[in-house]
Amino acid sequence: MPPNKRSLHIESSGQLCIYCGACVGVCPLNCIYLDETRITFDEKICTRCEICVKACPVGAIEIG
Amino acid sequence: MAKDLSTDVLVIGAGPAGSMTAKWAAKGGARVLMIEKRQEIGSPVRCGEGMSKSWLAEVGITPGKWINLEVEGARIYSPSEKVFEINEKHAGNEVGYVVERDGFDKALAIDAGNAGVDIQLKTAATGLIRENGRIVGARVKQFGEPFEIRASVVIGADGFESQIGRWAGLPTNLALRDMDSCLQYRMTGVDCDVRYCDFYLGEVAPGGYVWIFPKDHGLANVGIGVQLSKIRGMAEAKTYLDRWIDAHPAYAKGKKIDMVGGGVSISKPLNQTVTDGLMLVGDAARMIDPLTGGGIANGCIAGKICGEVAAEAVHQGTPTKEFFQKYEKGWRAKLEEKLFRNWLAKEKLCTLSDATFDKVIDALADVRLQKLTVHNILKAVRDKYPEITKEFESVL
Ligand SMILES: Cc1cc2nc3c(=O)[nH]c(=O)nc-3n(C[C@H](O)[C@H](O)[C@H](O)COP(=O)(O)OP(=O)(O)OC[C@H]3O[C@@H](n4cnc5c(N)ncnc54)[C@H](O)[C@@H]3O)c2cc1C
Ligand code: SF4
Ligand code: SF4
Repeated sequence: MPPNKRSLHIESSGQLCIYCGACVGVCPLNCIYLDETRITFDEKICTRCEICVKACPVGAIEIG
Repeated sequence: MAKDLSTDVLVIGAGPAGSMTAKWAAKGGARVLMIEKRQEIGSPVRCGEGMSKSWLAEVGITPGKWINLEVEGARIYSPSEKVFEINEKHAGNEVGYVVERDGFDKALAIDAGNAGVDIQLKTAATGLIRENGRIVGARVKQFGEPFEIRASVVIGADGFESQIGRWAGLPTNLALRDMDSCLQYRMTGVDCDVRYCDFYLGEVAPGGYVWIFPKDHGLANVGIGVQLSKIRGMAEAKTYLDRWIDAHPAYAKGKKIDMVGGGVSISKPLNQTVTDGLMLVGDAARMIDPLTGGGIANGCIAGKICGEVAAEAVHQGTPTKEFFQKYEKGWRAKLEEKLFRNWLAKEKLCTLSDATFDKVIDALADVRLQKLTVHNILKAVRDKYPEITKEFESVL
């Protein structure tokens, strides 16, 4: 991760995430992918625009 | 990699839009393969399960066991909870059913299967295959095994998550104000009215609304959509919904038995939904009604046209962008004007203050409107609250 980038964490172990796919659909760069209950996130493309953070209805995505 | 397949039409995604497209392509005589990444069509549900009913016959859907109940009308609540009722008499056939969405999706997939469509589950598209600038198939993974499916026509029916459109280079990205973050609980032990679908507008759900869609006596889907441009922090959809429920004893006493979320587009129609070898349909083509957030009907209506055009393209050997204009024109003729009009209305409505909303709903509630026309609505508002007429006029 480049030093100027903040970290983005998707709590997708099931504690928070309800696998609704909202984050996948809103990401302008297509860097999140959901397959049933598995989320993959492409750290390198993500610009930390925080759109997915807003879209997540339950607050499972955090940018630190 | 011994498994590579080929077909006439490859439909990616087995939601309502995908199943309708697949069915009508097969009825048109094409070999059709529909792939779905989930293990079960229709599940998990991501839907409020409300839909109008006037369009069903037109696209060849017969009402089935998936109907929970038929409502008489809708009630719109202003911020101070003045009520405006829209019923069948003055809204035409806009009101309709509350459905069992997983059953509905399965029924459409069964129709597709019966029409000759091959269906493969646990099969996710992972990329498109392009040759000489045209899309000629997709790379997929089935039970973890990667292979290729070649097709004359590829259909992106992959829903709001919509990867296909982006892979194809179609401009499907949305502005923040054109997206909603949604959350819904199914609640039992609530005092819902099985005769109505209820909508609560205003600051309770910034840029969106709270909905109550009854599924049975005491059982309802209680959900919210919030416009992304109005969201400041994390988990706001949940925060707003929980707050609304807490403030309404008839629902606060209920128990949650299910929770679903998702994204909804509330945008104007896309400029382009086809390219060489590929068409987009349903949520993937951003066909959700931007005012109501409903997407089932539009996905099915466009799906029928999409399937028919796909079959024709196969027979004539012309799966080109030019030929697919027939689909572009076809779905736009049915949906575009309303989508655009409702997008404009949404853009205006989400700028109205709670005070204005109250006055508008109050004015409408007073006059028992015969027919919901722009003229009648404006007149009602002008008669009672002339001071907001100008602000409200621009909405219509
Ligand atoms: C919370 C919520 C409430 C809603 N309430 C209503 C409502 O009350 N009434 C209404 O009319 N509409 C409602 N909508 C909208 C409605 O759910 C959609 O418009 C409708 O599902 C669109 O159908 P579709 O076939 O286009 O997409 P979907 O139903 O989303 O189907 C897409 C399918 O494609 C599959 N897929 C995705 N990617 C791939 C891939 N790479 N490979 C293979 N398969 C893939 C998915 O698993 C899915 O099965 C609501 C939406 C949300 C989020
Ligand atoms: S922060 Fe922006 S770019 Fe990164 S995953 Fe979220 S939406 Fe995509
Ligand atoms: S939006 Fe949130 S709850 Fe939905 S899939 Fe993404 S991280 Fe999970």
